[in-house]
Amino acid sequence: MSPVLAVAGYSLDYVTREGTQRVLEDVTLAIAPGEVLGLVGESGSGKTSLAWAIMRHLPGNAREAAGGSLRLGDVDLRAASARALETIRGRRMSMVFQDPSTALNPTLSIGRQVSEVLVRHRGLSEKDAWQAATEALAHVDLRDPAGLMKRYPHEASGGEKQRVVIATAFACRPELIVFDEPTTALDVITGARILELFGRLRAETGVSALYISHDLALVARVADRVAILEKGRIVEEAPADRIFTAPAHPYTRRLVAAVPRPEQRLVTDQVRPRELLRGEGIAVRYRRKRLFRLAPPPATDHVTLDIRRGEILGIVGESGSGKSSIARALTGLADYEGDIALDGRRIGSVKDMDRTYRKAVQIVFQHPDSSLNPRQTVGDILARPLRLYGGDVATIPALLDEVRLPAAYARRYPHQLSGGEKQRVAIARAFAAKPDLVICDEITAPLDVSVQASVVELLLRLREANGTAYLFITHDLNLVRQVAHRIVVMRQGEIVDLLDMEMLRRGEIHSYTRELIAASPTPVG
Amino acid sequence: MTDALHRLLRTPQGVLGLGLLAVLVLACLLGRSLAPYSPEAMDFAGRFAPPGARHWFGADQLGRDVLSRLLVGASSTIPLAVAATFSGALVGACVGTLSAYLGGRWDEAITRTIDAVMAIPHLLLALILVSTLGKGSTNAALAIAISVAPSMARVTRSVALSVRQQDYVKAAIARGEGAGWIVLREMLPNVAAPLIIEATIRVAFAVMLFATLSFLGLGAQPPASEWGLMISEARRFMHQAPWILVAPALAIATTAICFNLLGDGLRDALNPRDER
Repeated sequence: MSPVLAVAGYSLDYVTREGTQRVLEDVTLAIAPGEVLGLVGESGSGKTSLAWAIMRHLPGNAREAAGGSLRLGDVDLRAASARALETIRGRRMSMVFQDPSTALNPTLSIGRQVSEVLVRHRGLSEKDAWQAATEALAHVDLRDPAGLMKRYPHEASGGEKQRVVIATAFACRPELIVFDEPTTALDVITGARILELFGRLRAETGVSALYISHDLALVARVADRVAILEKGRIVEEAPADRIFTAPAHPYTRRLVAAVPRPEQRLVTDQVRPRELLRGEGIAVRYRRKRLFRLAPPPATDHVTLDIRRGEILGIVGESGSGKSSIARALTGLADYEGDIALDGRRIGSVKDMDRTYRKAVQIVFQHPDSSLNPRQTVGDILARPLRLYGGDVATIPALLDEVRLPAAYARRYPHQLSGGEKQRVAIARAFAAKPDLVICDEITAPLDVSVQASVVELLLRLREANGTAYLFITHDLNLVRQVAHRIVVMRQGEIVDLLDMEMLRRGEIHSYTRELIAASPTPVG
Repeated sequence: MTDALHRLLRTPQGVLGLGLLAVLVLACLLGRSLAPYSPEAMDFAGRFAPPGARHWFGADQLGRDVLSRLLVGASSTIPLAVAATFSGALVGACVGTLSAYLGGRWDEAITRTIDAVMAIPHLLLALILVSTLGKGSTNAALAIAISVAPSMARVTRSVALSVRQQDYVKAAIARGEGAGWIVLREMLPNVAAPLIIEATIRVAFAVMLFATLSFLGLGAQPPASEWGLMISEARRFMHQAPWILVAPALAIATTAICFNLLGDGLRDALNPRDER
């Protein structure tokens, strides 16, 4: 059978001021009818560039090397005119994007956006298209599709929006759909449901798909075959069930090894029950009651938790469950009700947080790009907490060495570092204060698996050396099961479960926790 | 910074703006020695001499060489306008950033005050200030600075609001830094790019406002050869010798265009767009 998509010997360069940079090198792959090919690579491997090359929407500085071909069925995409492409895109191939919040036009109603595709490509009248679009939305399991058609994107949740995007992509029964990390921006449970939906639609329509992701475990779940992309080259292509059990290429082996496996504990020691910090009935509210407005429900509803000396306490939950609000309360970034006690000393409000408290409780943020001031050098960034908390600025090289960065990095600016290196600087900044507790707010989420593994390893080594406790906030249940001593599970601002590893092993867990565990993609084999 | 300059030189507006700026800077620095005559040298025989080989831009009602007066006047017009704009911009930037940092009621109070001040037209505000402070170039510059500040504060606030959400600002708050450090060292450097653009374009307004004040007799005082003052003096002889009026008017226009082009060029240079 002839393939739906055939890419042969395709190479791509970007022309930048520093010279030409090769992003794709001699890429060859084929997708048979009804097949799903997973494309896995770390950031910068060129996987999104390949998606845009197939959709024929490359940036102005892209230069395609002669010789390579991109074929969709019988059409040579590289030779197709702009007009021909207009009829192909949306009709014969479509795309589902990573971030559903930016993939829909905020000024058009959802109905307009879905029915427009039908009017454009199936030649339906406005009225028929509206009808067909409503059916399409019903088909992706959206509640009240007729009502949703009239709403605007900001009136829908992230998961609903992604379903709308998927409904639009499937609307014209295309031959090929390109998925560019469709679940990365969603929380685990929503993401898992989107994958279920995709599985059902796929069985119904027999569509072919190119499924791009950085998450190997996830791709192994949805794809028939997996191609591994390293720096623009496809290094391995194998059936999905074989990629974990028998990875052939060393790079694939490294990727597979970096995937967190919940049954493989990285922390083996036990901590003595000596309380370091206690939060009693913490409630964070982002909006106060006004004259004509009732107070909205608090982001965290009188949550009580304690952290022991040297302990790793994991907090997991979906987005909006209030886990980050706890971090904000503990670091004085948000006003809170309730009591915090550090070493038995009571901190009743943000005003009570003095230098000793601030020194003891440090935070590392999720996005390394925004957590370092772009106008300060790494040296300046690290010098500040040292000066503030009575450290010695001369220890900066030692501090950089502790996070495995060369001392020369002190003179660099954040934009000259990679994401993982930036996160190491942020960790060094937290440890410059010699803290008792470091709050890690989703710090591994934006990083590639291999970088993620090395950051986790770094954290564990620092803990061993300094006896620091961690509050490890994450949505990655597999990872937290590897490192945490105890896990707090949150839902809608409340703690639903607090379990230690022993309870987890015995299965004494809340039904919601069970649901979360089921939704996390686990490495097969 | 060299990077931005490089990009600036790749846009036509940038090249033209920088070229004009070089000419203006030259006139400000070396105007007095470049001038063919003394700006105060009167020549009654050569009153209202039309532009020609002897007087390139003609001579005025007292026989003074217009070109010489323009060249010397540059140093009393442009530096003051630039200084006024940038000091006003700096004050505005600090207030705007502070407002964004404090948020809540303080932000509300500061923003509403700015709105109230901005409701008064620039010229009217400057007139009120000069008439209270007294005539003279320095007071005119001060008035311009004060009238520039509120709009700069507003622009800065909107940029600073997004910087306020950045994690490095949160990190500074969590570290227990004071408001001064956060506003001046963490936030202000990161709102600088749009501010420089905005301020550069405002210089053009300031030059014109300054000329207007002088024209109205509230800025520079005779016999200074400030451009606005030159126009004011030439007004009476508009029909007799239009060049006395046209030359300083063109000089003001060129300066305004120069800074506008420069601002446009900087906007492109400091905000590299997605080239897709």
